[in-house]
Amino acid sequence: MAGSLVVTGMGIISGLGTGKDKTLQALFAEKSAVGPIKHLQTTHTDIPVSEVEMTDEEMKTALHIPQSQLVTRTPLMAMIAAKEAIQQAHLQENKPKRIAFINGTTVGGMEKSEQFYLDFLGNENHKEFIAAHDCGAGTDAVADYFGIFDMTTTISTACSSAINALIIGANLIRTGKVDAAVVGGTECLSKFHLNGFNTLMILDRETCKPFSKNHVGLNLGEGAAYLVLEKAEAAQLRGVQPLCELNGYANFCDAFHQTATSPNGQGPYLAMQGALADANLQPSDIDYISCHGTGTGNNDSTEGIAITRVFGEHIPDFSSTKAFTGHTTSAAGSVEAVISILALQNNFIPANLNFSEKMDEVDITPVTKTKRKDIQHVMNNSFGFGGNDSSCIFSKIK
Amino acid sequence: MEELILELKKEIIEVLNLEGMTPDDIDNDAPMFGDEGLALDSIDALELIVLLEKNYGIKLANAAAGKEVFKSVRTMAEYVSKNRTK
Amino acid sequence: MDIFIQSAAQISIQNPLCDDWFENPIAHTEGYNRSIEPDYKPFINPMAARRMGKLIKRAIATSISAKQSAGLEQVDAIITGTGLGCIENTEKFLSAMVNEGEQFLQPTYFMQSTHNTISSQIALNQKCNGYNCTYSHRGTSFESGLSDALQQMLLGRINNALVGGHDEMTPDYYNMLGKIGYWKQGELSEQILRQSSSKGSFAGETSVALIVGTNKTEHALCKLRDVDLLYKPSETALQDAVQRMLQQNNLQPSDIDALMLGLSGDCEYDAIYTNFANAFGKNTPIAWYKHIFGESFTAPAFGVYAAATCLAKESVPSHLLHNQKNEVKSPRNILLYNHFQNIDHSLILLSKC
Repeated sequence: MAGSLVVTGMGIISGLGTGKDKTLQALFAEKSAVGPIKHLQTTHTDIPVSEVEMTDEEMKTALHIPQSQLVTRTPLMAMIAAKEAIQQAHLQENKPKRIAFINGTTVGGMEKSEQFYLDFLGNENHKEFIAAHDCGAGTDAVADYFGIFDMTTTISTACSSAINALIIGANLIRTGKVDAAVVGGTECLSKFHLNGFNTLMILDRETCKPFSKNHVGLNLGEGAAYLVLEKAEAAQLRGVQPLCELNGYANFCDAFHQTATSPNGQGPYLAMQGALADANLQPSDIDYISCHGTGTGNNDSTEGIAITRVFGEHIPDFSSTKAFTGHTTSAAGSVEAVISILALQNNFIPANLNFSEKMDEVDITPVTKTKRKDIQHVMNNSFGFGGNDSSCIFSKIK
Repeated sequence: MEELILELKKEIIEVLNLEGMTPDDIDNDAPMFGDEGLALDSIDALELIVLLEKNYGIKLANAAAGKEVFKSVRTMAEYVSKNRTK
Repeated sequence: MDIFIQSAAQISIQNPLCDDWFENPIAHTEGYNRSIEPDYKPFINPMAARRMGKLIKRAIATSISAKQSAGLEQVDAIITGTGLGCIENTEKFLSAMVNEGEQFLQPTYFMQSTHNTISSQIALNQKCNGYNCTYSHRGTSFESGLSDALQQMLLGRINNALVGGHDEMTPDYYNMLGKIGYWKQGELSEQILRQSSSKGSFAGETSVALIVGTNKTEHALCKLRDVDLLYKPSETALQDAVQRMLQQNNLQPSDIDALMLGLSGDCEYDAIYTNFANAFGKNTPIAWYKHIFGESFTAPAFGVYAAATCLAKESVPSHLLHNQKNEVKSPRNILLYNHFQNIDHSLILLSKC
């Protein structure tokens, strides 16, 4: 690909903690963040989740935002993660000419709308939250906090939102519309989507078991993560050290069913194959696949089948980190992109926790213990409702 | 049993939004899922599980458990009459 | 590289799936208006339609219609802009949860509530495995999608795309937005909107589908030259963006035969359009479209559709003009400018084929 794109900053917040260091420590410690519900107000107290430790108030304090200021949880988490990324890339001190903020989210301001919905309909109370309901409101709140963005937009493709944000940011840089882009996703837990996933009967009452025969479903999680993208030459001119290269990406649609993946994993297959072609790499070049691996029967078997279709006999090391972070839905793509890049930088493969036995449908085994290994190329998968399937590849700087 | 079958058919038509259908259009013994009969899908199965819980107080543990119960309207009616709590 | 808007289809508060509005627009006097529904039977079989809300049906009908007009069997990409997604289903799930508690909730409403349901249902209906994406960014959701398609064509990643703008306005959401100043009260007329002496506009619903592509088809409407999205630009930054867009496309301000602006009758927001037009040049004719299609998060899709139609029909009819009565004949280039509450702004440049 002409004019390589690099990642010059990244930031993350999830159940594993705030920041890259905490995340790395938790991965090495093989310590899951999935546990009983603490913050979310719901009657489903038997459903385990992975929550961000900080309350909204604590996040406001950390961000020096007055408590009186109206900011919902989804943009608050985004601000914390984006701040780490922006600082690492020195975007504020040494500003590229035009910067885009491409944000993935689906829940938007729902966590407040579900609290105040009867007020919204019946009286004048809490009406200030009406304008915070839609997905774009949170994106613009984040943009206002930093004041460095020349364009913003919001992607809402459910669980693949954050990877699609990355793809769109990359394309905008390639055509020269912008010089840098902060891309990723954010999602807080809401009663709305906890109940939604519950009606689909795909929530595990224990910690999830991706790719394991005894898997019964997923755990929801919350979090946010962002990457700073720019051209390699631009980073060099700004004197910023790139973390890795964004080598290729692809977005395809399964076009099979609103919530289930096709039996042969056509969408995931096309996404992985497309990312390899875009990066001009062979399947054998991939050292690690950070899988979508939610822990539902449908996802794990179809992703597994798609992997065998792409990689044949020589399946690279792969794992899902969903048992660490829970499924952070719209943020999952960037949360796992940060984890993938940490793996690339630190030469290790994160463990796929809670695996006990291979699935009947496909003969594959994930990496179950943290493994030291030199990694040149890592593939990151993100698949969503509606068959929105995307994949991207990060590579070490040559 | 015939009364319960008719009641279930009406509920199925309503909850699955089977526009233009009447209870007479649904065969008591025809398969509800698969390519024949009503040709319902996995989401319909989840809706029927909610229906059982809401209207008859029957809780199915997982989606797979619905397979046997929802073979036909008759099997569904038999299951309801045996297990209903309301 | 030339990129074309090959075809367009709409369902709105004007007669659906046709260009009747171009000759005889329906005048609206109510603050709240629902779209005029066509017969969906030619587009969707009843078994598939049973779970679909109105918005999905409209999106599929406009998509099929636009594809047919462009003579395309399949598209490389399906891209949707929607401010609120399938809000009707969201409300059904939300109100059941709020009123009856967290039990007996229906999965269909949840799975049809996510914003990307529209794009994915179109893909399902059209059996399209290509690129699929959904933008939900307030008043620039549609333009974000159009920009995405443009960037990908410039990079050679796709050759064509189905780009849609889709939003429904439920009674509850209309009332909620009314509480925060979105709508005018009382009987409306074009005159009242044109005077723009009070806050608020009037509500419509949007379903617009466009086919854009690099190979000009027989009935192509116009060229899509450029799309720019701007976040809280200063007046200077906005004018700089206009200059940059014109320069990059080898145009002078005098080559622009009409501005197509998002004027909506809201005194605060219309003032920004007036400033924009004044800075651009007082003599340029100003066209508008929200007075016939109403306001919604994806209303700018009607701007593109209306401007493309004007370029194809070689006329900006007098009923679309805001600052003059005389029809603009044979327009060559139209510059579109829209802003959402002076936060998110968009510029789009269209030229005749």
